[in-house]
Amino acid sequence: MFSTTVLGQVFLNGISLSAIYILIALGFTLLFGIMKVVNFAHGAFAMLGGYALYYLYGVLGLPYLPAILLSALGVATAGLVLEALVFRWFYQKMFQSMIGLLGLNIAIVFTCVVLFDVYERSIPPAVDGVLVFGDLIIPTDRLLVVAIAAVVLLAFWAFMSLTSYGLAMRAAAQDVEIAETQGIRTALIYKLAFFVAIFMAALAGGIYAQIYALSPFMGDRPLMVAFIVVILGGMGSIPGAALGGIIFGFGESFLSTFYGSAVSSFVSFGAVIALLILRPWGLLGIPE
Amino acid sequence: MMRSRILRAVLLAIPLVCCALAPAIAQEELKIGGIGPLSGGGTAWGLAVQRGVEMAVDEVNKAGGLKVGEKTFQPKLIMYDDQYTAAGGRTAAERLINLDGVKFIIGPIGSPSALAVVPITNQAKVIVLSNGYAREILKNDSGSPYNFRAMNSNIEFGPAMVKWLREHHRELKKVAIIVPNDATGQAILPTLGGTYKENGFEVWSETYERGTKEFMPLLTRMLAQNVDLLDLNSNAPGEAGLLLKQARQVGYKKTIWQVGGPSVDEIVSIAGPLANGFLSYDVFDFNDPSAKAFVEAYRAKWSGVINAQTPGWYNATKILFKAMQEAGSLDTDKVRDSLMKIEGYDAGIYGPVTWGGKSDYGVAHQLLNKFWITEVKDGAPHALSVLTPEKK
Repeated sequence: MFSTTVLGQVFLNGISLSAIYILIALGFTLLFGIMKVVNFAHGAFAMLGGYALYYLYGVLGLPYLPAILLSALGVATAGLVLEALVFRWFYQKMFQSMIGLLGLNIAIVFTCVVLFDVYERSIPPAVDGVLVFGDLIIPTDRLLVVAIAAVVLLAFWAFMSLTSYGLAMRAAAQDVEIAETQGIRTALIYKLAFFVAIFMAALAGGIYAQIYALSPFMGDRPLMVAFIVVILGGMGSIPGAALGGIIFGFGESFLSTFYGSAVSSFVSFGAVIALLILRPWGLLGIPE
Repeated sequence: MMRSRILRAVLLAIPLVCCALAPAIAQEELKIGGIGPLSGGGTAWGLAVQRGVEMAVDEVNKAGGLKVGEKTFQPKLIMYDDQYTAAGGRTAAERLINLDGVKFIIGPIGSPSALAVVPITNQAKVIVLSNGYAREILKNDSGSPYNFRAMNSNIEFGPAMVKWLREHHRELKKVAIIVPNDATGQAILPTLGGTYKENGFEVWSETYERGTKEFMPLLTRMLAQNVDLLDLNSNAPGEAGLLLKQARQVGYKKTIWQVGGPSVDEIVSIAGPLANGFLSYDVFDFNDPSAKAFVEAYRAKWSGVINAQTPGWYNATKILFKAMQEAGSLDTDKVRDSLMKIEGYDAGIYGPVTWGGKSDYGVAHQLLNKFWITEVKDGAPHALSVLTPEKK
């Protein structure tokens, strides 16, 4: 069982799983980090990203890269309406946001049930086939996800670290009142952060739906993954989301392969519980 | 003057017209309960219950209602989502019985829900025509006085399919059975695994949490076992489709088939070209000329994929209606006795009604339907063989 081939396959599966999990968790952790909003509607936005990609790429036949960017932009732009109607009332209100956005999640999901029916459908793959390295096999669609995750993570880091808007976001995340006294327009920064977070959720959702399957209920799993990854890495921490994604992805790959999925779930959730007891701010989070 | 006379005549005529229409309006409503998953991975199956029953209900209502004894009833479906869970099934059954006053239920479709529903409905003397593969749905302490199974379980079709495979693919030696870690999985592993062993197969099994999307690690684990047959058994369509797709993506090139389901169209929709060569149990051949009327009636109301279980629920509802008519009453004891006596009635889908299961469950409440083995070629299922469960 512990042969080189199997270990190699476990490693490759771990990379691709980590990439998917990081993509999913980034938008979730951004909203929490800046606005202290626990976005229970994160999975619903991911699902909307999936449907947008389905229509732009699968039905209208746009080239893949413009299609996936446009679908994420479209969902994020449409999301601004919900920001004005719902989200803004929950900024800096962590507990209220959980319940309120859970309701929003249900509303979005069942609106999509009415609009799109419940059947699971597939989005045509952007790249097809598998790459074979000796005994190792990696599907090319997973390689594409790894590449997209790497680019997005880098772009996200650059935006947060090298631009004035990123600096303003980080300042608002640290202390809203002091940021405002320094001239930062937090209302605008919140809108921007919301837009970026929903863009990331929709982008991840499009990719997730393409790799797995698309249905109005597809957002449940991404939401749970985002939660685990973000708790592992530290709520609100972007490097934490990357680290949490890597740990969760590689952990699942290794444990599920060698010990089965029951052990994998047990250990993953066990680790989250232990972390919440011993280090509630997560691996790279900041204690309040 | 003339105008006021006309007005008076019209006003006088209104009560007469109302009286003339009264019998039609006074038709009593006959509530038929429906239980199935309308959310989550098994939604396609829940919709199959809902739509299959609705088709039979619409057909009866278009023909002027269901005449039972001296009265004519207008059947109406009341459907609840059980989320494919025991808790959901229990809530749905209690609500149907206590709140809606339902005496007849079609569904549930899955074992977790059916196992929770049956004790409640038998105690309340409510007739249930369900699916679900767990043996205990029919073989239980109560003796299943009011519940029937309207579709074959793996106990009916499993042995016939595995025997067919043994005869047609002698090169296959070791099978992988991957099941969800719930009542469905626990019911399937011993029965289906036992059937494979009886036919000379070596069995490797693994479980997963229902709702899982990522099967690559599990399938890598399977690859290391050198199995040459993957049985998707009774996994929900969404999960079966992903298992097939990801099995091919991790390089598994050998036979994949499904002794269960069925959900060929949904699997093809998820796995795309990777589904070619996939073999499956199927409960209906939509390409058969005899299916034309059913397909047209479905298409008149809905678009998209027709889940293969839809005809089965239509069939079950028609059989229930026939039993009510034969009983001449809605008394559930009389309808139950009537159900057992209508062997030979043909609802137009599977041929004459045949009840079986006495030796397996101690009660002959298992409807035996013919079934198909299909192979996916160029993205569409093609019938390879038609089999009939053994009556025992």
